[in-house]
Amino acid sequence: MAWDWEFTINEVLPQLMEVVYITISATLVAYLVAMVWGLVLAFARRSQFRPLSVAAYWFVQFIRTTPPLVQLFFIFYVLPRYGIALTPFVAGVLGLGIHYSTFLSEVYRAGIESVPKGQWEAATALNFSPVQKWKTIILPQAIRPVIPVMGNYLIVMFKETPILSAITLVELLGKAQIIGSETFRYVEPITLVGIFFLIMSYGASLLFQRLEMRLDLSKK
Amino acid sequence: MSAEETQTATLEKEEETQGTEKKEEALPIVRYRKVSKSFGENQVLKEVDFDLMPGERVAIIGPSGSGKTTLARLLMTLEKPTSGTIEVDGRQLWHKEVKGKLVEANEKHLHEVRGDIGMVFQHFNLFPHMTILRNLTEAPVKVLGLSKEEARERAMGMLEKVGLTDKAKAYPANLSGGQQQRVAIARALVMRPKVMLFDEPTSALDPETVGEVLDVIKEIAAEGEMAMMLITHEMSFARDVSDRVAFFDEGCIQEQGPPSKLFVQPESERLQSFLSRFNLGEENSQ
Ligand SMILES: Nc1ncnc2c1ncn2[C@@H]1O[C@H](COP(=O)(O)OP(=O)(O)OP(=O)(O)O)[C@@H](O)[C@H]1O
Ligand SMILES: [Mg+2]
Repeated sequence: MAWDWEFTINEVLPQLMEVVYITISATLVAYLVAMVWGLVLAFARRSQFRPLSVAAYWFVQFIRTTPPLVQLFFIFYVLPRYGIALTPFVAGVLGLGIHYSTFLSEVYRAGIESVPKGQWEAATALNFSPVQKWKTIILPQAIRPVIPVMGNYLIVMFKETPILSAITLVELLGKAQIIGSETFRYVEPITLVGIFFLIMSYGASLLFQRLEMRLDLSKK
Repeated sequence: MSAEETQTATLEKEEETQGTEKKEEALPIVRYRKVSKSFGENQVLKEVDFDLMPGERVAIIGPSGSGKTTLARLLMTLEKPTSGTIEVDGRQLWHKEVKGKLVEANEKHLHEVRGDIGMVFQHFNLFPHMTILRNLTEAPVKVLGLSKEEARERAMGMLEKVGLTDKAKAYPANLSGGQQQRVAIARALVMRPKVMLFDEPTSALDPETVGEVLDVIKEIAAEGEMAMMLITHEMSFARDVSDRVAFFDEGCIQEQGPPSKLFVQPESERLQSFLSRFNLGEENSQ
């Protein structure tokens, strides 16, 4: 079967465009969940209160070492048995977000540990409160060096979104599959999906490079 | 050993001089009482008693590892004493009085008392992600509650004092070590502490920038408003700026007195041998 341009442009492209926003919004919301929950985990790990830091440690270990697909199935198919029924989108962003929050929490931790002790001490000497210390002195310095890694996780999560079709969320790949099964033509839809992911990932990585350079410049 | 005798003799003498000169005028702004500090097995401070009077400038000298930095860090609340008490302007620092009993202080209490203390570090510790001006205004705005304009005015005034108004918009990485340390001094001063701690402020500097930093400190010392604790290895500087010199060794003050006395006629053998490593003797004896 040769490549059919008419089929590609008149049927595949419009249908895929309808669901592009689902892939993108799922990525962004899941990333937000990962960033916020990751920070919470990083703080919990650092807590002086032992039970909290131990709980955070095991949470991170457990989530990191089990497949995200298992976690998604758990959230989408098991939780409803206990009265928590979520839409595919909400279940999906929670699942992906929590899975990657465990990786981001380690990234935050590395960033926080890279801030020299002297910065904490200067902040104490100027009598900043603990919250102010974190907000104005430590976190801005902790995040800066890990921005490239954080950007990388955004792209990784973006590429992971097809997994959401397993819990009935019709995103790009899911849609391509539907088109394929209806028309018996898979080449065009699947290829387009691949190209779309390539363009978006590459664009995002350029954007992060820019951001990194800008932040670096202001330091000099 | 005779060192012990000398030590008690010095202490008695010290009490005498303090009794006649300073005690009636004012109460100490800082008062260490039987302060000890151990890191694991290593006892770094041994029941230190030490007073600092308002406006007094005390140089702390002594060999490496004798506990000078630790003494300052306990006052700045960067390290917690193992035992003993520290009072700042009549208030307990590490303790709180609850129904006549001393209990361990919480962060809120530390925050209240800590405001009287400022510190300049060996390695400056400027905030690298902020401009020089922001380094100076951040704490006055966030901690003291000054308006942005007030903080700015105060900061610019202080930058003028250390001769760096033209660097207000620069970032720390673009400044020389000497300039960074002058900014660090200005940053501590804008908080208007009653007591300033300097922990070897010039020992991380290139030799050619040491002078500019010492000059700034001398200028501040000459104003005589703040009490100052100067930990230093610059003996001639210690002699020039201080009202009193305390010789620290093995976790306690071995000998202290006015620089004219301590540098010229050191009593303990330890101080004599310590000073013999610096070529101060000849200048001083005339
Ligand atoms: N956080 C710490 N943990 C363990 N040991 C420490 C710590 N801080 C200081 N010490 C030890 O305490 C002793 C005194 O250290 P301190 O820094 O107070 O000495 P110092 O008089 O300032 O020396 P220097 O002139 O070299 O700066 C040293 O033996 C040091 O190794
Ligand atoms: Mg030291």
